[in-house]
Amino acid sequence: MKELKILYLYPDILELYGDYGNIQVLKYRLEKRGITAIIDRYSIGNNPPDFNSYDLVFAGGGADQEQGILADDLVKYKDNIKEAINNGVFFLLICGAYQLFGKYYKSADGDIVPGLEVFDYYTEAINDRKKRCIGNIVIEANLNGKRTKVIGFENHGGQTFDISNPFGKVLFGNGNKFGDTEEGYFQNNVIATYLHGPLLSKNPELADYIIKHCLDRKYNEDIALESLDDSFEELCRNQLFDRFLNNN
Amino acid sequence: MKNFFIVLIMKLLNIALKIAGKQGGNFLGKIAFDWNPEIFKYFKIDCPIIAVTATNGKTMTNNAIGYVFETAGKKVISNKEGNNMETGILSTLLKHCSLTGKIKADYLVFEVDEGYVPVVFKDLKLDTLVVLDFFRDQLDRNGEVETLILKINEFLKTYTGNLVLNSDDPNVSRLGKANPDNENVYYFSVEPYKYATKEMKEAGEGKFCPFCNTRLEYKYYQYSHIGKFECPNCHYGDNKIYKLAQNVDLKNRSFEVDGITYKTKFNSIYNIYNFVAVISCVSLYNIDTKIVQNALSKFVLNNGRLEEIDINGIPTIINLAKNPTGSNVSLRILNEDDDEKELLFVLNDNLADGHDVSWIWDIDFSNLNNVSRVVTSGTRAYDMAIRIKTSGFDANKIEPYLNLHEAVNSLYKTNVKKYVIANYTSLQPTRTEILKLKR
Repeated sequence: MKELKILYLYPDILELYGDYGNIQVLKYRLEKRGITAIIDRYSIGNNPPDFNSYDLVFAGGGADQEQGILADDLVKYKDNIKEAINNGVFFLLICGAYQLFGKYYKSADGDIVPGLEVFDYYTEAINDRKKRCIGNIVIEANLNGKRTKVIGFENHGGQTFDISNPFGKVLFGNGNKFGDTEEGYFQNNVIATYLHGPLLSKNPELADYIIKHCLDRKYNEDIALESLDDSFEELCRNQLFDRFLNNN
Repeated sequence: MKNFFIVLIMKLLNIALKIAGKQGGNFLGKIAFDWNPEIFKYFKIDCPIIAVTATNGKTMTNNAIGYVFETAGKKVISNKEGNNMETGILSTLLKHCSLTGKIKADYLVFEVDEGYVPVVFKDLKLDTLVVLDFFRDQLDRNGEVETLILKINEFLKTYTGNLVLNSDDPNVSRLGKANPDNENVYYFSVEPYKYATKEMKEAGEGKFCPFCNTRLEYKYYQYSHIGKFECPNCHYGDNKIYKLAQNVDLKNRSFEVDGITYKTKFNSIYNIYNFVAVISCVSLYNIDTKIVQNALSKFVLNNGRLEEIDINGIPTIINLAKNPTGSNVSLRILNEDDDEKELLFVLNDNLADGHDVSWIWDIDFSNLNNVSRVVTSGTRAYDMAIRIKTSGFDANKIEPYLNLHEAVNSLYKTNVKKYVIANYTSLQPTRTEILKLKR
């Protein structure tokens, strides 16, 4: 039986906006297809993980205060993480995790929290603490040459700059900065984004894109994923696109 | 003189509203506060003011405290309808004061929104503050919990009145250290109940000690992050308990405090915390325990907060749940009941609900006990259907309806017991729709 090994980073800290739902969606879609989902969790105080031994690494967003506590911990794995990304391990990074993988995060008070420097972008908070990019968001991503609408919810004060390759084009909402046209960061095996929702819950095509990418790499094949009944997801997407994009 | 006129005009407005058959809500307070933000200073109050704040359980606890005092024959003025921001409290005061600002009562009892405690009690002298819990709640509107706690903590640094705190919530218990000179801090706690766990079962806050950042250790969890905790490094959490609920028996709806048995109309662990808070609070005013026993045994809230109603012979339990913990508590009650049942979950994403519905993924839907069908509704009916499907519940037994009327009609197609969970703006419409079926 096929299996996918997922590493879930800081499940007890980066868990503020229901991002754990992404793991549940992945597990659901794998198990429906008879593929075993092995989910390992790592948090402060646990044995160090070997990022290379996983197919997918996931991390979400957390409370500001707790995020500071873990930045010091994560930095210990910088080299191992870089190596894993170069080896093609898939990284799905949401919100706080997205920011932590960049060069640095500059807070509203001007304090600099150094990032992992895995990617070239950097994030700066707006001086006005009360101003945040908050709301529903729809973007258009390019998944294997297919234009796909991706829907979620953003809630971030940080404005992310110097994105070489965005995850998607903003159709509704803010994106990397207030009123931006671009959202997130994308490369072959990395999706870093501000989209909560959770991201994969209303975007089954995106979930399957990630699953296929991981399986193809692991088993060295071009797998055709068995289709699932996504009727609730389709109803939900149509309803919300109608509300957000057509103003109904 | 200015305040006299404000009060006079508000009194006249209130009469006009009454004639028009309107409740008023925050309206009077809004006008008066905009006119003079210092208006709170005008009131002459010589009775104790008691306030209840929390994320969950404010209305229940506030109304129960008022009910106990009333049972004891006292005159109570309270914002029972839940208008809990500065304008709502001001409206209540304006309705009950004389033209010179005098208020005649034995007790003023207010539920206060957790963000508004410092605003309301800047100029009103608070005698007792009861704090129940802090959970994540509408993050897109309220921001992170920590910000709220820090605001209240700041207010408490100079406060010397009674402070009644939940010892089993690390977010609340820490407030007891805000003013080391305050000798009037009273902690309440509840012994583990039948379904308490060793591991945290549902999403929660406060994993780290707020004083030394060490990971907190728990002897037991009651629900979410509520339970007996202690910091292994600085021993934060080792409080002297003023009132402890023991022998919690949810089946018989009873518990004990100081060897006295209290009966209630409610069957959730979360209500036990509310009621031990009530007992702690009223004991500070020397209310006879017999009166407290009697009052708590009769106290109900007929407004969709754990409301039990019978719809043409079909038992129905309705509960408000506007955040993960509220929902998880509702599901605990459902799962602790072995009867066959059907669940209706109504989820709106209006402004007052918060536009962000991702919190439903923090609800624990796994292993629903003897649930034969789920109906979802509200503006986010499909989000809810996806959420429950992904938890492993058979998708063929989930029926989403954007239209509430259709959802309720479908729900009552069968005679199976119903559990209804609805969030903020969906609660009253859902309740009304269900009551329409009553013959």
